[in-house]
Amino acid sequence: MELFLQTLLDGVLIGGTLVVIAAGFSLCFGVMDVIDFAVGEWVMLGAYTAFWFQEFTGGDPMAALPLFFALFFAGGYLLQPLIQRVTAGKRPHPVLMGLLFTFGLATVAKGSALYFWGFNFRSIRTWLSGQNVQIGITVPSLRFAGFLFGVFATLTFMAFLYWTRTGRAIRATAQDRVTAGLLGVDVRRISALVYAVYAGLTGMAGVLIGALFSIHAGMGLRYTTLAFFVVVLAGMGFVPGVIPAALFMGLLQSLTAVYLGSRYVGLALFGVFYLTLVVAPKGLFGRGS
Amino acid sequence: MRPLRLPALGAFLLLTLLAPFALNPFWLRILTEILLWIGLAVSWNIIGGYTGYLNFGHGAFFGVGAYVTAIAMVHAGLPFGAGLLLGGLASAALAAFIGLPTLRLRGAYFAIATWAFAEMIRQVALLLEVTGGAFGMRVPGLLDPNFFYYVMWAAVAGTCAITYGLMERSRMGYKLRAIREQEEAAETLGVATTRLKLAAFALSATFPGVLGGIYGYWTTYIHPDSVLSGSVTDQMVVMALLGGLGTAVGPILGAVLLQAVSRFLWLQMEQSVLYIVFIGLVICVVVQLLPDGLVGFWARLRRPQRGGNGAA
Repeated sequence: MELFLQTLLDGVLIGGTLVVIAAGFSLCFGVMDVIDFAVGEWVMLGAYTAFWFQEFTGGDPMAALPLFFALFFAGGYLLQPLIQRVTAGKRPHPVLMGLLFTFGLATVAKGSALYFWGFNFRSIRTWLSGQNVQIGITVPSLRFAGFLFGVFATLTFMAFLYWTRTGRAIRATAQDRVTAGLLGVDVRRISALVYAVYAGLTGMAGVLIGALFSIHAGMGLRYTTLAFFVVVLAGMGFVPGVIPAALFMGLLQSLTAVYLGSRYVGLALFGVFYLTLVVAPKGLFGRGS
Repeated sequence: MRPLRLPALGAFLLLTLLAPFALNPFWLRILTEILLWIGLAVSWNIIGGYTGYLNFGHGAFFGVGAYVTAIAMVHAGLPFGAGLLLGGLASAALAAFIGLPTLRLRGAYFAIATWAFAEMIRQVALLLEVTGGAFGMRVPGLLDPNFFYYVMWAAVAGTCAITYGLMERSRMGYKLRAIREQEEAAETLGVATTRLKLAAFALSATFPGVLGGIYGYWTTYIHPDSVLSGSVTDQMVVMALLGGLGTAVGPILGAVLLQAVSRFLWLQMEQSVLYIVFIGLVICVVVQLLPDGLVGFWARLRRPQRGGNGAA
């Protein structure tokens, strides 16, 4: 029973950290019709930024999260027009071009990280690292903080989406780009804003993931995979679905690892992933676009 | 110009057939690799270029072909030729099997589903005993570079010829392009879309199956991270895109150019990771500036005036 509870908790904590990445990613698809292959590379860059921040200032990266958000927000805002350029207008194969362009960006990011920072594994320390709280089962403090952060950031993000004017404009754009434009929404600005917020959130999540696990140039692909998984399960473009989908993914991971063996985690994830797409392409809730 | 094309092609084929007499094993190896990538890029173009279904898991068929051929040779003691046949058949059968549910998905969904499927296959290869799991698989070696060059040559020439015949010179090609442009419209015009898509998918999977079988026997060692790695698919897609999607020459051009440049960089630089950055930049620049590839770029150069109102 204790093992089972511990496994459940681990799963929930794994899922919580990923919620925020998936939420931004899902919205990006909804608004821009772009599947961002570079999602994991934002995580990787976030983790490295936190590492170099700690190297040079000696400060705790957890305390500087808003700074990282601002940094990645700016990066995303500057990059978005290039992505927009290949998917909008009369260009052929917009889906392929969007996928390929972000794949190209991801490759550049990964290659540059390898070139500049090498194959070494690095890590960062925060004030919560290595602490645990025992309540019958073990709650690792840092993971719990990551979970809280993920849920908190996602809820803030959703509040912004559903309770503000800009949020309404974003949702309108996601529903119908052309009509939203006709009704006076500056679709270009909204798209750039969405991508910037998504990059900011993902970079920030990268800081936490860097604190939780080791940092290396190839870490991105894992998070790209997991983000795809959660978003497909939630229904592409349906943001509220990512919270249960991410928790489900976390549970699937931890339950498989404990009861079948960690060798089977990959197969379980991709098996469920593929089957979901084939059986219910609109996601578990049937609300995807 | 046109009457010269056939003799030029013949001369080119003859030249490549004579290559082993002029080159040392090192350069022959690089040439064999270039051939392999031509075959893979051309096969991806059938489903991704002509049909418009972006298969992001095409590398799975390469890996399945490699493993089936290797298993047939190592565990069943079959000769190479029989193994190759089995590899191609297994890939085609797998494609037909997963094609039916997967080809119902469109656009980005199909792309992601095939990608997930390919990863699933890689995970299975890592777990199974018959594939050697995470230890990889050793294939009995045959140290004859000329043999592999000619086998690869024949397989790739066959791939290109069959693809050209079916896609450019038969009704099937037109029908597939109709599906790419608008599937519903094609269906109302009487195109049996499901059957055709399935046929195109199985056909496009057969070639990488055979090429994978040759590759495994040639390199004598296969591993899920080599033959089933996602980068196999990535390279095919990039090569087809660079040359020009849905054209006969495009993927060939893209494969030759990209593989030659990447090998050149690899020889020049100790730091091979810069090559990754280079590939990434190529993709970004091509997508931004040449969305219809080198072939489209060339066509635009040749008739710059006519693009004014009609073709724009």
